[in-house]
Amino acid sequence: MSYSVIKGAGYILVHVPGMVMHHGTTQTTEKVVNPGSDYLKELPSHMRSYADCVAYPPNQTYIGNLPIEELAAIPEPWADKKVEKPERFGKFGEIMPEDEFILLMQACDVFDLVRLDKEFVAKTLPKLQKHPLMKQSILDLIKEGDDAADIKRTIEEEHAESLIFEDKTVGYVKRAHDVDVNLSAHVMFENLVSKASEVLSVLHLLNNAGIDAADVDYMIDCSEEACGDMNQRGGGNFAKAAAEIAGLTNATGSDTRGFCAGPSHAIVEAASLVKAGTFKNVVVAGGGCTAKLGMNGKDHVKKGLPILEDCLGGFAVLISENDGKSSEINTEIVGRHRVGTGSAPQAVIGSLVTDPLAEAGMTILDVDKYSPEMQNPDITKPAGAGDVPESNYKMIGALGVKLGQMERKDLPNFVKEHGLKGYAPTQGHIPSGVPYLGYARESIMAGETKNAMIIGKGSLFLGRMTNLFDGISFLVQANTKKNKQKAAASTKVPVIGIAAAGYELDPQNLVDAVEFAANKGCKAIVIDGEDCHAKMEAMLKSGEIDGAVTSHYPFPIGVSTVGRVITPALGKEMFIACTTGTSSTDRAEAMVKNAIYGIIAAKACGIEEPTVGILNSDDSRRCERALLKLKENGYPITFAESCRADGGHMMRGNDVLRGTPDVLACDPLTGNLMMKMFSSFNTGGNFEASGFGYGPGIGGNYGKLILIISRASGAPVIANAVQYASQLAQAGWLKISGDELRKAQQAGLNDVLEEMRSEGKNAFTKPAAKVKAPAKETVTVDIHGVEVTDIDAAVESLWEKGIYAESGMGCTGPVVMVNEAKAEKASAILKEKGFIA
Amino acid sequence: MDLENQKRVKEFAEQYGADNVVVLLGAAEGEAAGLAAETVTLGDPTFAGPLAGVSLGLTCYHVCEPEVKAEFDPDVYDEQISMMEMVLDVDDICSEMNAIRDQL
Repeated sequence: MSYSVIKGAGYILVHVPGMVMHHGTTQTTEKVVNPGSDYLKELPSHMRSYADCVAYPPNQTYIGNLPIEELAAIPEPWADKKVEKPERFGKFGEIMPEDEFILLMQACDVFDLVRLDKEFVAKTLPKLQKHPLMKQSILDLIKEGDDAADIKRTIEEEHAESLIFEDKTVGYVKRAHDVDVNLSAHVMFENLVSKASEVLSVLHLLNNAGIDAADVDYMIDCSEEACGDMNQRGGGNFAKAAAEIAGLTNATGSDTRGFCAGPSHAIVEAASLVKAGTFKNVVVAGGGCTAKLGMNGKDHVKKGLPILEDCLGGFAVLISENDGKSSEINTEIVGRHRVGTGSAPQAVIGSLVTDPLAEAGMTILDVDKYSPEMQNPDITKPAGAGDVPESNYKMIGALGVKLGQMERKDLPNFVKEHGLKGYAPTQGHIPSGVPYLGYARESIMAGETKNAMIIGKGSLFLGRMTNLFDGISFLVQANTKKNKQKAAASTKVPVIGIAAAGYELDPQNLVDAVEFAANKGCKAIVIDGEDCHAKMEAMLKSGEIDGAVTSHYPFPIGVSTVGRVITPALGKEMFIACTTGTSSTDRAEAMVKNAIYGIIAAKACGIEEPTVGILNSDDSRRCERALLKLKENGYPITFAESCRADGGHMMRGNDVLRGTPDVLACDPLTGNLMMKMFSSFNTGGNFEASGFGYGPGIGGNYGKLILIISRASGAPVIANAVQYASQLAQAGWLKISGDELRKAQQAGLNDVLEEMRSEGKNAFTKPAAKVKAPAKETVTVDIHGVEVTDIDAAVESLWEKGIYAESGMGCTGPVVMVNEAKAEKASAILKEKGFIA
Repeated sequence: MDLENQKRVKEFAEQYGADNVVVLLGAAEGEAAGLAAETVTLGDPTFAGPLAGVSLGLTCYHVCEPEVKAEFDPDVYDEQISMMEMVLDVDDICSEMNAIRDQL
């Protein structure tokens, strides 16, 4: 079963200066220990405004507006820097102001513990109503509000925790039980903040991932709070509580804990649940933490910095079934800090990074980006904790040096190339590995990076249950589902027979070709004797060989071959369709079919969307008209543009030499001539040394894999032809051929060809009566696209309508020339009559 | 140095005698190592914990200092410390530690 994927991510911040002062433990502890301290006095003057918080570069990176590389390019410290265009909303989420968040807290409270001042509600609700993601079901949960006097009384008499906005008390969170400390106002406050910020993260996730809330099956919360009463202090379940408000009506859920490693544990669990098929869509989410607000405030104030820890953080990630395109979570490359690992940094990094990579045969250099604890260094450095992500990169690199995976002198470069700047708020579990998932998903899907390792670490000893450290890591990688399907089509190396009937060159070439093919990882055998074709057919039938490369072999009418050459100008490969055989006795019809056969061969060789050009020759315009009509009817075809200044789908000699199109559609005789020239232009002509030969016979339901070489094909060409055959066999060319022809049929191929044939016979005869040319005018405009055989009929059709026209030969082919003033009308007439597309 | 650790260091010094206690640090950079060393020798410079105004004068080293390294079984040192030795600014740590010891 394929790996589960990261379907989307949501990242939010909430600017809560009111909570910093009253709920951050650094501040609340100081109030108890040292109530008159200078720190408490100075703190208010160090709080940032909402606008400053939004303009702070790392915050813009967290919500997806400022790429990590661009943040890294801003010289540190960042506290005094502002982004040019601060935005509340980013592609991953938003930075919510405190007043709106207080309302959201009330919406998340189902036990009537949050009461708000009615004036505050009246003023703030209209703001929240404008929030693009706030559902009516959530807005309906906000109550009208109480009188200020009632608010004041409850805070004083019942020890409710104040909700403060812009230094004014605008409401409270009251206790949920008289004596149970687990339901005290303080605990309820913390838990409701966590729940509300988690809900906000999930709303953004649903929007970003484009998933219906009802399609989520399961949710895992991985915050660091505990909810429960005195009989079950950590009973849970935040996940289900938040899922209810976010509208995940079909989900249940549970909480996973592991201090800062919680999110990584939760994602490994989610990825495994999805991969096992237990659930299809699992949300992993974590809300913010009031206790950590202003945690390093003393150092920040001492150094004259603003309080940088004035934001709650939240995140949510959707893990889903493999969709064939999203970045995957490779659950086979999972590192874990084991009970027996020990706590030396070396042992920790070994267990989380180098051990799981070594088991997968990888070194630290095989991972493009590492995301450990992504704390914003602007916050941690002034507090003496250094640049946390950078320290991690140094440790990973140093262990790599110790293991002989790289040189010590490359250490600084390793940090630069495989590291990321930290940008997440110091909210414990929030910065731990997961902030990068959103960016990693995008970067890997865009092919900018191939993978990323997410590393979560947790300080379990803080809970005083164990002195052990903890951590878990996993690898995010590009989607492999497609590749696996291709590989599954044929896992063994195909055997290709070489039956060179009537071979003109030294037979040693055939022996050499087998050896050359082996060097390319292909298997070939020579089928000799005068009856080699009969033997070849028998071997194909019995399955002894999977395909054959042969010369002097006749195909039935309807089948033509797609050659493959290396074009001389740029060394680019090009498929020539066709090089021999006859797909149709009508030249234009043959070219249309050849174009489709060329697409089949190119796709089977791994080009997902091959570009098609038409050789600029007789009948090429008719071919173009038909292909355009097919495209119009829904057949997916990508046209190549000529390298010449005037562009177009017609390929000139220059384009042929440059290999402008992936597939060059032409008639078989011209294609055959080009094949021979491309293959032997540098050998004097009698030894074909370059390219892959004349290619496989394709058409209708022709199912044998037979590729053509010429009797003058040398060993290199035969070896390449064997490789070409192996690729087609491994890719399951017959299925690709069937799919492609079916698509063309669905787009009306037969009708389009029928129409083209009838045009050839009837439509373009000259007007019955002798038409006299209108008065001569200056003709300066060229109308392209008329077939040379139809050119006189086209001119006379215009005369008939009173437009003077002349025929001529432009540089790309025949043209009808008219006066500039009449060009538009003339084009319309020619189009209506079907002369041009 | 956090308050709990200050308390434990103080208790050990009282229990075994200051001459019989060596404090071994593993701090990640010079300044932090210096602060911890100062706390267990001269006293808590932040005047917040049990060692505020208490000069224990304990012998104190960082694990990456050459004097300590020489005491280790090389294999154990390689297995436990060598990676961090590569990462840390050992010279800076040593000079901070020496500066504190010089004040004793």
